[in-house]
Order: sequence, then C-alpha cells, then structure tokens
Amino acid sequence: MEDDISSYIDEIISALGDDLELSREDIEKEFRRFLEYGVPPDQAKKSIVKKFGKDKLNRKLLKDIVPNERNLNLICKIITKNVKEVNIRGENRVIYYGLIADESGILPFTSWKSSFPAEKGDVVEIRNAYSREWQGNVQINIGERTGIKKLEEDKLPDISQEPRKCKIIDIYNTFGPIEIKAKILSISEKEIEIDGVKRKVFSGILADETGKAQFTAWHDFDLKEEDVIRVSGCYAKFWKGIPQIVFDERATLEKLTEDLEVGSPVLPLHRLVDMRGGIDVTTEGTVIEIKDRSGYIERCPECNRLMRNGECRIHGKVKGVADLRLKMVVDDGSAGIGVIANREITEKLIGKTLEECKKIVENEGEEKLLEEIKETLLTKKLRLRGNALGDEFGTTLIAKDAEIIEEDIKKGAEELLQLLEGER
Amino acid sequence: MRREPAWRVFANEYNSSSAVIRGSGERSPSYVITPLGAKVNRLFVVGVLTDVESLAGENELIRAHVSDPTGVYTLYSGQFQPEVTATLLNVDTPSFIAFVGKVRIFEPEEGVLYLSVRPESVYEVNSSARDRWILETCRNTWERINAMREALSLSKASVYDLTKLGYSRDLAEGVIKAVEFYKNIDLNKYLDILEEALSYLIPEEKEVPKEVEEKDEREMDEIENTVLEVIKEIEGDKGAQWDNIIEKCSQMGIDRDVVEEAISSLLDKGLIYEPVLGTIKTT
Repeated sequence: MEDDISSYIDEIISALGDDLELSREDIEKEFRRFLEYGVPPDQAKKSIVKKFGKDKLNRKLLKDIVPNERNLNLICKIITKNVKEVNIRGENRVIYYGLIADESGILPFTSWKSSFPAEKGDVVEIRNAYSREWQGNVQINIGERTGIKKLEEDKLPDISQEPRKCKIIDIYNTFGPIEIKAKILSISEKEIEIDGVKRKVFSGILADETGKAQFTAWHDFDLKEEDVIRVSGCYAKFWKGIPQIVFDERATLEKLTEDLEVGSPVLPLHRLVDMRGGIDVTTEGTVIEIKDRSGYIERCPECNRLMRNGECRIHGKVKGVADLRLKMVVDDGSAGIGVIANREITEKLIGKTLEECKKIVENEGEEKLLEEIKETLLTKKLRLRGNALGDEFGTTLIAKDAEIIEEDIKKGAEELLQLLEGER
Repeated sequence: MRREPAWRVFANEYNSSSAVIRGSGERSPSYVITPLGAKVNRLFVVGVLTDVESLAGENELIRAHVSDPTGVYTLYSGQFQPEVTATLLNVDTPSFIAFVGKVRIFEPEEGVLYLSVRPESVYEVNSSARDRWILETCRNTWERINAMREALSLSKASVYDLTKLGYSRDLAEGVIKAVEFYKNIDLNKYLDILEEALSYLIPEEKEVPKEVEEKDEREMDEIENTVLEVIKEIEGDKGAQWDNIIEKCSQMGIDRDVVEEAISSLLDKGLIYEPVLGTIKTT
C-alpha cells in the first residue's frame, strides 16, 4: 500500500507540474486525509489535482493554434491595441483589436468584451478564448466569457522574434518582423522634423520576383537605385492595400552582389481583392460592365475636374479640354474589381483616337460612342497592369497598361480536354 | 459592402442546385450553392436567347430563356429593370446574348425550389464571345471539380484548408457547404458535361455525306464572302441597309433567300452585326 501511495503522489505531482508551491509531504498528508475519509485512491487523486491545480493554466502556444478552437488559454504580450466602434444589429459597440505575441509567434486578436483590462506592452493571461479564421489567417477572438488577467512581465519568456523570411507577395499575411531580399527601384531623400528634431528619411519602391512595395528607411544605409539588399527586422504597413516596408537603424541591412529578377506575376482577382491593393500588379479578367460615364468627357482647364453640361463645378462655364476615359468592371469568376483607364489606354483598347471619338460624339452623340465602346470591349478578356487601391467598396485598379487577350479557343479547349482525360 | 463575383456556371450545374443560403435584408445577400460548391449570388452568362414572353401587363414582367451547351437559364425581368426588359424584347430570337444577373430563388413550398436569374444588364454579342465564355466556364468548372475532390479526400475539410490550397474564399466556403448539404456528389456527371461542352469548341470532322456537304459548304463560303464584300462596299459610316444588300446581291445573281441565310450566318460568326434593326455593319 505504501508503494501504491507513493506512485499516486508521483502522478499527482506530475499532473500539477513543476512550479508547484506545495511540498511532496503536503500532498501526501492531503492524500492520506482523503483515504481516511474512505475516498477511493483514484477519486482522491483527481480531487487533489483539481483542488491545487485550478490555478494551473493548460496553456497553448500561438503557433499551435488552428481556426475554430475553443477554450484556449494563452500567456502573451499585447503588442498593439486599437479601438473601433462598430454597429451590430443597430447597436453601437466598442471593440478592441490588435496583435498579441508569445515566444512562439504573433497573431491578430479581436475582443468583443465591453472593457479590455490591459494595455499595449502588458503581459497577460487569457483564459477561454477561441480562434477563427480571418482572411486566410488564424485570429484569436475574445468574448464576454473570456478572462484577461495581467501578469508580471517575467511570466513570459523572451518574445523578441526572429524576423521571418518572406517574399513581397507574402507580407500581406505575415505579422511581426520580417526579412526580405529585394532590389531598390527608386529612392529619394527628404528631411522631416519630428518633435523639433530634424531627421532624414529615405523612401522609394523596392521589388522582388513576386511584386513591389513602397519602403521608408529612417536611417541612412547609403542606398542607391539598383542596389540588391537583404534587410532583416523590418515591418510591413498597408494603406488601402498598398504595402509599405519600414525599417530603421535597428534593422540589419546587407548589400548583395547578386542581381535579382523583379516581376509582376499575374494574380487571380480573388487574390488581389484579398490583398485589397498593390503596387504595379498584373491581373486578368473579362469586361462585364462599362460604366455610363465612360468615353468622351470634357475636363475643366483650370482644375482638371470633370465638367457636366459645359460647366465646371468650381469654375463655372469654361471651354473644356477633350479627354477619353474608361470606367469598367472586370471579373474572372472569382472576384470583380473596378478598372479606370486614361485616354492613352482607352485609345489603345477601343482602337480609336480622341479625335475620332470627338467626331462620333459631334455627329452622332455621346450615346453612340458609348455603344461602340461597349460593342468593342464587353465580354473581352483583358490583361491589366497598374496600381490597385482597396476600400470598403472593393478594389479599383488604375491601369498603367492594358491589352485585349486574343486566345485560340480551340487550342485552349483541346488542352483542357487532355487534362480532363488524363484524370479519368 | 464587397462586390459579389460574377460566377461562370453552366445552366445544368445551376439548375441542379437545391441548397440556398437566404440573406435577411439588403446587407446580407442570398446565395445558391451548386453541387460543385459555387456560392452564387451573381452570374455572368453568354448563351443563345431562345424565347421571350410577356407574363403580365404592359411588359411588367417578362420571362426569357437563354441556352448554353448544357441546359437552359430562365430569366425574369420586370418594370424595375426597364432597360434590360426593353433589350430582351427588342432582340431577335435566336441570337447570342450576354447577361450579368442576380440569383432568383422561388420556393413555393418546403423542398421545392425554382431557380432563375434577374438580369442586371443584357447585351447582344457574337459567336466568338459565346465560345470564349464556354471555355472560361469549362475552366472554372474544372477548378470546382478539383476543389470538391480535395474536400472529399480530406477527412474533415475546412474552409481554411481549401484557402491554403489556393482556392478563393468564396469557393472554399461554397465547397464546404456543398459537402455538408449534398449527400452524393457525382463528379463524373460534371466531367461528362465538361467534355461535352469542350467538344462543342472543337468541331469534329463531319462524317455523313461528306462530299456533298463539303461542296455545299464551299459554295456557301463563297457566297458569304461575296455578301460580306458587298456590305463592306456600301456600309460607309452608317452601315448598310438590309434592302440595299439584297438588291445589290440579286443584281449579282444571288437569290434573296440565300442572301438572308448568308447574312444570318455572318451575324453568327460575328463578322457583321446589326446595330439597329435593318442596318448591317462589319466588325
């Protein structure tokens, strides 16, 4: 029996873990008390584990979490905390969102609790949270029944993370510090004043084979156009989906001698819409709508605003400057975006010059021109390249180049048929 | 509010659907979940307009049918889409049309589902637009078949798993819903449909009375070329009048019926179009 008791005590201790403040003797005393009351040893063991283990957290590391897990217990640091007011079923509520990190990783969180009892930089214990998937990533959700308790800073091991190596296309789904290898395509220098101190900042565009991003360097790394660099410990920010990579003297920057291929691979539209936007992106899709205010327009010579009925909204009656443009919806079946094309691209796509369009408008009216544009472009597949911006209404691409894709339908059909037969 | 994608789905797949997600109010749209997991709120279709009929009042409600290589789409349009209604009433049948439309779900009683489309915009197109659509719809259907296969091969597939494989979020959600809802998804049926649609784009050599047919075809080709030349000659900026074409061709010894046949064949091929009734222009 004494041997049995000893092995029960071992089990209890291992279940309660190392950082237990009770001694082995204390546990043994407790265990014997239960036995004296006639409690079977198995039940006694469970009761003791429950009694002393209630403060013990069954902790999960952030890197091990997948979507739709419940009853998650975490120890992590609040990296950022933002507040937002949302309207849920007609009721205004305040929610908190941001990033949390532990020694294994970093994840976004959203809190639906009426108050959020921790600030940026705090180390906290989070009990009974759950996970969801949000735009392809795991997100931690904090509900009314989730507990948040502040802990001492030293309860969390060092969370300074190794920057994650990634390509520019991947920075949309990567949180925390990153490492990229890229080529500087353009750079300019300016001086700004922050709190009375003058600082030099360097900004421009950098690129790798997957895409382009703006960058801002808060330190003079002596960068020049065409330089190929590896920079570790930078961060990605986004404005309307336009990526911006930011780094300062704390980052490690290395100039490489090798050259780097830069490119703009074709993105499926759903990918572009998920990213919300991007710099110099390429995509393809079918024209399914030409907006009414496309075609021949006149702009105010003073402010370049679109004129209506020969009048500018600001400058009144002026002689307008003739221009062409297209506003259309392009869709590939997975998503749709708005596309705006200027005069040059419009001329190329519709195969008519501004002069020819003007003539059609003068002789046969604006409607006629719009009709011809629709006949030329609707249902055609386009390849588009340009900057894309995303907002709450969707993504709009400002075309820098566009062309109609003429495909050999028979060949395409034969290729797909072969693929299909191979699978049967 | 995000823009709903315009799905490319063959009529057969759409009409075989029996799962719907009903939205409540304007901000949460309704969806039809097809057996291959398309989560459709909006569609883009190019097909043949076969008939248009007025159901109520002065064209207060009209019904039209558009056929593709696999089946028929039913369209309803009313007084709230006056332009669409007018276009449908003015287009000759049969002719090629393209439309973008929203799903229309009618469920008179539990378990009985009638699916149709409320077009947002409609326009006439030529046969090459139709061919492009068939190929694109084949490709997207093929993608759905593959997504469905992946989902069925995993023990408990989630939306997250499928998006990680590169499928769009909408498709991933649709596929997971379809797996839950439809008991036995017959992928072979859709492979057959795909094959049939693709063979439509790859005309096979005709077998029966080969000689006669070839001869006829050659003759018809010649006549079509002549008619096309005539149209080019007289169209100017404003297009060639139907009567003028007939007259000019009959002077060249081609019968009125043959000319009309040639014109309709040229229209089908997309070499000419009819911007206004009775006026022909080359493309």
